[in-house]
Amino acid sequence: MSENIERRRFLKGIGAASLIMGPMGCTSVKEDSNNANKPHYVMVFDQNKCTGCGECKQACNAANNLPEGVSKCLMEHQSGGVEGQACPHCGKEECNCERKFVRVSCQQCKNAPCVTVCPTGAAHKDPETGIVTMDDSKCAGCKYCIGACPYNARFINENTDVADNCDFCLTSKLAKGELPACVQQCKYDALVFGDSNDPNSYVNKLLAVKDSVRMKPQFGTEPSLRYIPVVKLGV
Amino acid sequence: MDGSMEFTMGLSEGVAWPWPIAVYLFLAGISGGALVVALAIRFFKGQTANTPLYKAAALISFVTISLGMLCLVLDLTNPLFFWRILVFYNFTSVMSLGVIALCAYIPLTAVLCLYAFEDEIKAIPALSILLPVIKLLKPIRRPLEILTLILAVSVCAYTGFLISALIRFPLINTAVLPALFIASGVSAGAAASKMVSVLVFKEDIHSSELKLLHGAEWPIMIAEILFIVMIAMSLATGNEGAQSAFAAFTSGVWANLFWVGVVGVGFLGPILVNFFTGKTFSHSAKAFYLSGVCVISGMMCLRLFILYAGQTYAI
Ligand code: SF4
Ligand code: SF4
Repeated sequence: MSENIERRRFLKGIGAASLIMGPMGCTSVKEDSNNANKPHYVMVFDQNKCTGCGECKQACNAANNLPEGVSKCLMEHQSGGVEGQACPHCGKEECNCERKFVRVSCQQCKNAPCVTVCPTGAAHKDPETGIVTMDDSKCAGCKYCIGACPYNARFINENTDVADNCDFCLTSKLAKGELPACVQQCKYDALVFGDSNDPNSYVNKLLAVKDSVRMKPQFGTEPSLRYIPVVKLGV
Repeated sequence: MDGSMEFTMGLSEGVAWPWPIAVYLFLAGISGGALVVALAIRFFKGQTANTPLYKAAALISFVTISLGMLCLVLDLTNPLFFWRILVFYNFTSVMSLGVIALCAYIPLTAVLCLYAFEDEIKAIPALSILLPVIKLLKPIRRPLEILTLILAVSVCAYTGFLISALIRFPLINTAVLPALFIASGVSAGAAASKMVSVLVFKEDIHSSELKLLHGAEWPIMIAEILFIVMIAMSLATGNEGAQSAFAAFTSGVWANLFWVGVVGVGFLGPILVNFFTGKTFSHSAKAFYLSGVCVISGMMCLRLFILYAGQTYAI
């Protein structure tokens, strides 16, 4: 009984609300479209195409003026022979394992623990783009973010003495309207970058046709980095 | 499909939070714990005088939290940046909330020292500038003490919440950690205040206050043991990541620290000294200090174990 009454009242409420809201439609529509236009930048790493040449990393270091020995992204060599190195999968120098590399970098979490825990707000989301980035002038160097990042994707930048992460070249390249340095550099199209909220973007189409995975989804961080794995049995 | 790909490398090497943080967690625990016991007894017994235990606790809490702050600041990548934590706040961050609590707590421990040592301060002419301050603060002593008690519990608890927010580490990322840290902070704080009150402020080892504390120690220790068992059980029966973190208890250098330091020294030590030695020894001053030192060392080992073993066994 009471449920019915509640429902009737609720329906009535909706009717009244739509009468009131109707004329205000313009403003609310505008806001909605604003939201829909808010970009969600994603990067896709295609393991089938990556050869492990490492040029993305070099380009990144150059674009972001990183000190010697420090990187915002790494290539993990997972299997397959590389001249003079044992295969990490089978341990032999010469093997038939498929060559596999994987990009290690900040996953640009939608729900980013580093941002939640940072006591000063130095690790924050850029309000325009939603990209997780750093305000160096606020970072106290407490390393809370480094412990909190489930991907171990943060580090202390020895040039600045503060924490750092891959931010899709937000201030170096994106600000100039260019693609992130690693994406520009990759000769094999293993990296694709774009706005997944834009229905016409290439990433959007790519993600629609390819099966992609996210790293450690069990943490609930909703990474914006997508990986297209090599799917072959045996290795 | 998710999870069909992994990476195992990371961009930072070693543990993010090394031993100075463990020392800080230890000192903050003692500081908060000492005040919790002293103020609880004060309220419980309706005391108004400055008892030796109160003096000892006030002194310990102020000194340990100050040293703890030093550890925290020195552990920053650039200690000169420490002011940024005091100027910028982020209310979703446990650390930021802790800073707010500490900003009130540290001055309050100093004020409690002023109350506790009023007579001593009066006796030293060089310190006479403090007398007007004491006079000013005297009327609000009770409310300030209540506030300090609340903050002391918060400081103990916050150190647990601070690190339990690190979701990558199954041993650390547990809900009981703050409770464990309160319990072990209180037991170590009690041990420290007991020893200082006897050693420095000439409390009688068998006074009624210390008897009360002795009585409270064992239930707290049992609670501590229970919390540790809870953590271990939830790891042993948890998912894959949790089960691999269970190895922290069974193998490697941190397991040794746990069994020798935490269990052996921290728990078995005081039990042996108090229950398995002759009555004359277990009631002697030697036994009193020995078991106090055991409790405090055990707590330090516990903090080191949680922090290092915890960060070693990441998912
Ligand atoms: S991957 Fe780590 S650093 Fe990057 S947004 Fe997520 S939590 Fe932050
Ligand atoms: S190291 Fe810097 S960015 Fe990271 S949590 Fe601390 S203040 Fe924030």
